[in-house]
Amino acid sequence: MWRSVQRWRGVVIIGTMAAITLWLAVTGQLALYIHPRYNVFTVTMAVIAVVLAVASVAGRRDHDDEDAPPPRRSQRALGLTAAAVAGLFTLGMVLVPPASLSTATADQREMNATAGGDEASLAAASTADEASIARFTVREWAAILRQTSDLSFFADKPVTDLVGFVIADEDDPENVFYVSRFVVTCCAVDAQPLGVPVHLPDWAGTFEPDSWVSVSGEFASNPSSSSLQSVAVIPDTVDPVEQPREPYLF
Amino acid sequence: MSSPSLDSSRAPGPHEHDHAGDDHGGRDHAGHDHAVQPRGARRRPAHYLWLVGGIGLLVTMVALRSITAETGPWGLPNPVQDLLTLSTSVVVESLPFIVLGIALSILVQVWIPEHWLLRILPRNPWGRRAVISLFGMFLPVCECGNVPLARGLVRRGFTIPESMTFLVAAPILNPVTIITTHQAFGFDDGILVARLLGGFLIANVLGWLFSKHPDPHSLLSGRFAEQCRLDDGHGHGHTHSRREQTLDLFVRESSILMPALVIGSLVAGGIQVIVPREVLVSLGSDPLLSVLAMMVLAFVISICANVDSFFILPFASTFLPGSIVAFLVFGPIVDIKMLALMRTTYSTRTLVQLTTIVALMSAGLGLVVNYVA
Repeated sequence: MWRSVQRWRGVVIIGTMAAITLWLAVTGQLALYIHPRYNVFTVTMAVIAVVLAVASVAGRRDHDDEDAPPPRRSQRALGLTAAAVAGLFTLGMVLVPPASLSTATADQREMNATAGGDEASLAAASTADEASIARFTVREWAAILRQTSDLSFFADKPVTDLVGFVIADEDDPENVFYVSRFVVTCCAVDAQPLGVPVHLPDWAGTFEPDSWVSVSGEFASNPSSSSLQSVAVIPDTVDPVEQPREPYLF
Repeated sequence: MSSPSLDSSRAPGPHEHDHAGDDHGGRDHAGHDHAVQPRGARRRPAHYLWLVGGIGLLVTMVALRSITAETGPWGLPNPVQDLLTLSTSVVVESLPFIVLGIALSILVQVWIPEHWLLRILPRNPWGRRAVISLFGMFLPVCECGNVPLARGLVRRGFTIPESMTFLVAAPILNPVTIITTHQAFGFDDGILVARLLGGFLIANVLGWLFSKHPDPHSLLSGRFAEQCRLDDGHGHGHTHSRREQTLDLFVRESSILMPALVIGSLVAGGIQVIVPREVLVSLGSDPLLSVLAMMVLAFVISICANVDSFFILPFASTFLPGSIVAFLVFGPIVDIKMLALMRTTYSTRTLVQLTTIVALMSAGLGLVVNYVA
């Protein structure tokens, strides 16, 4: 029993994980975990892992490390625990539906701490035409808000169908929320939350945190007295929407 | 796989079977190694059963996955769900590198003639280590893939300090890392140059320090030392065909590395759910504290050297360049996931020493860059 677990745990885990990775790739959900630029590499290696895992199981035979001295009891316990933890985690990958990161992680990572600060994006935004402004995502708006709070800049630049999940503004949770997206540079571990503040008194009566919305409206001076954001969107419409297939921005 | 046709599997004859799969091993030894015959005879009928079983298991897993995906979210509490998402993302990101590492390790141990690797090395120990620290240039694996590769090198006759030099240098001095770091930073603030020189320097100093150790084998973990001893005793590479050795190594390496990878990823994910990021980011502009904060961040986040430049790029505006260098040098060598992986090969004591040396040198490097640049 001990030897079989010790010997085969890795093959079962690596085979299962590779198979799940392939399933994620086929169903387009790999983007929940890694940047799409790694998709080809990840899928190639997963195929190799599946082939090697199946071949190892099929080519099963007796092994020379079986005449190794029996391990100490403590070692055996440690090995079995490691196998159990890894096995449970693998089972979690099989059974728990894939999900995007939630407000729990956004709360731990300072909102807009890493919004792009380059002046080029601001310059580009000030000369952008209506059509491209209408396509701005949370990323562009967050970069602009980081650099200017000059209301005249926002005068003829409305927010159109800005999609993101809802997260409360810590300083005025009742009246202000962020339309937020995670920006991922490599994998979900490095996801950074970016958000655009929206002023909507008593928003929590209509929307749950973590739910996805689409916001249209105009930027204006933030009416909230306690929020630290001087500019916020005064929404014309806030509509609930489905979570996009690629919830993160890359 | 070079398995025999169905016909030959029905018509018995262990010899024939061995010949079908083996290039030389089975044939040479069938006569005087009596263990081979019963093995061949027993494997034949089971062979296909296990093949079907293995495929069946994977298909079942994928089927289960598709079914459970549709039954909707389980309503796990947010932090738990995020812990799972974060850890899974570390696993999914590292898995291909682990597979690549195991594959290259198999290549080095089984398919490349022993003398190739050892012949190109200079005899002088400093020269040897210097050349070994450049191995990453043609074995472009990031740090998690390097662990199986370093294990392979030890079993292939490299000394243990040399394996460490390789392990430390290769993730930094490798083409993929150099390209991504250059894409992210160009030659700004000397970050790229400091990273490369720093990695080279640390790897060689580390190798030199450990080469002074009176009993290098005590640097290894008990289990790995045991395996190396078994290898020596059995004269591996003669009794089994290369195909069998390949599969054997795959089974063995995955058995050791996968639990370590999972546990490392879980701890890395867990810390990120618990510790607020702003605690680290608020330290960004102090020359000393920023270096330490970035090293802690590198330790916690545990992402691969091939991609960490993209991760750290957004922080470059708030953090001093020396702290970015410290992140880029320290992170590939020591982090939570790597410690779990390295523990499969080196003893805890060795890892404490290694971490201390690398941390001190990375911090020193970061401070120098901060005060000079």
